[in-house]
This record gives sequence, C-alpha cells and structure tokens, in this order.
Amino acid sequence: MAGQGPDAVSADLVGVLFVAAGLVAAGTFTAAWHRDLTAALAGIPLMFAGAGVAFAGIARFAAAGGPQLLGQEFAMLLAIAATALVALGLGIAGRERSR
Amino acid sequence: MDPLQTIGFYVSSGVSLAGGLGVALLTRRDQRGVALGVFGLGLAGIYLSLSAGYAAVVALICYAGCALMFASPQYRRVDAVVGPLWRQLGAIGAALLLAVLAYSAFRGDFAYTGYFGGTFGAANLGRLLFAHDALATEAVALLVAVALAGAAAAWRVRDRTR
Repeated sequence: MAGQGPDAVSADLVGVLFVAAGLVAAGTFTAAWHRDLTAALAGIPLMFAGAGVAFAGIARFAAAGGPQLLGQEFAMLLAIAATALVALGLGIAGRERSR
Repeated sequence: MDPLQTIGFYVSSGVSLAGGLGVALLTRRDQRGVALGVFGLGLAGIYLSLSAGYAAVVALICYAGCALMFASPQYRRVDAVVGPLWRQLGAIGAALLLAVLAYSAFRGDFAYTGYFGGTFGAANLGRLLFAHDALATEAVALLVAVALAGAAAAWRVRDRTR
C-alpha cells in the first residue's frame, strides 16, 4: 500500500529539530545583519518560532513522563511573548527616533 | 506521521524558512512585513502538521500582528552604531549556531513515544494553561500587559513631542 513501504515519506523528531535550528539561525542572522535596529527586532519572532517548533516537535514525538501537550502550550506562549516584545520594541524605537 | 502530514510539514517548513530569509534579506519595510506574514503562515502549517492546531491558530494571529506592525507606515528606522565587521561576525556566529544545532539534532538520541492527543486539542490545552501551568500563563499575561502598556506610553510620548 502506498505510504507503508520501507521508503515511505515520513518526518521524525530529527527533521523537526533541523527546521527549528534553521529558524533560530535565521532569527540570529536577522538580528546580526541589519544595520537598522528596528528591522533587527524581527529576529526575535523568528528565534522564538524556532524554539516553539522544537517544543511542539518534542510534544508530538517524544513527550514522556509529563503532560503530553506541554510543548504545544509553550510554543503558544512563545508566539504571544514574541508579539508583545515586538510591540514594545517598535514603540520604544518610535520614541527614540522622535527625540 | 502519515504521508499527507509529512508533505504538509516539509512544504510548510520550506515556506517558513523562505519567509525567514526574506525577513533577513529584504530591505523595504513593507516587503519585510509580507515576508513575516509568509513566515507566520508556514509556521502555522508546521504546527498543524505536528497536530498542534490550536497553537497554529494562535501563531497565525500573533505573526500576522507582527507583520502588520513591521509593515506599518509608523515604522521608524533606528541606525545602529555597530560597524560592518561586528555585523559580519554576527552573521558567521549565526552560521556556527546553525551548524551546532543541526549537529546536536543529528547526533541526539531521542526516546520516541506514541501521541494520543487530538489534532486541535483546545480543551486539553486550556486545562493545561489554566490549571496545571496557571503561573506560567499569568507570567506571560503580565509580560503582554507590561509590553502593551510600555508601547502605548512610548507612542504617546512620541506624539506629544511632535
């Protein structure tokens, strides 16, 4: 049957962690590369998203000995915290500019 | 993971990484905002393929908000005083971080378990958020309140000094 052979397409925790590493590195690169500090702030949601993907992947594939949805919960809280930090950073950046 | 979820995961990962690179490399604020929106869409797809439907909805809303803030005409540029050498060292550091994280993901020895949660899991997540981890939820709520109050205060000061 399709999808059940030895070569079936599948994703596992290693693949998820690879993607998470790519997102964290993209966020770090964004924060380091931009000369504009406000644009560099966009690295925060990217890095938080990478951490969130790693947490969600652990919850999906390897959660043992605790609440199984803990990783999903943490990923959600990270997304909310990233939005709050971006709002604060953009507010402060607007204030600094007007001086 | 069934093949459909797997394909969704890889496509969403590609979309998300492309959006992330767009945020890093595009120069105009509106383009960066669109790239961040694409990134959020890909991230929501990743969460959905990992059976985290509720987290996908929350991430989609949060990253759409971030994209709107970055693409807004009220965006102000603040130039850094750091020279190009430090920026290039930071970029090399990001590449090294990617290498270290990828190596640790590849060499790690993980225990795999079965997954018994649903695709969306809103009720179970709500129970976790408001009963098991109420303190963490309150801490994030406090962070959001402080951040929004700080942002509002900063914008008010800016408007007053015009």
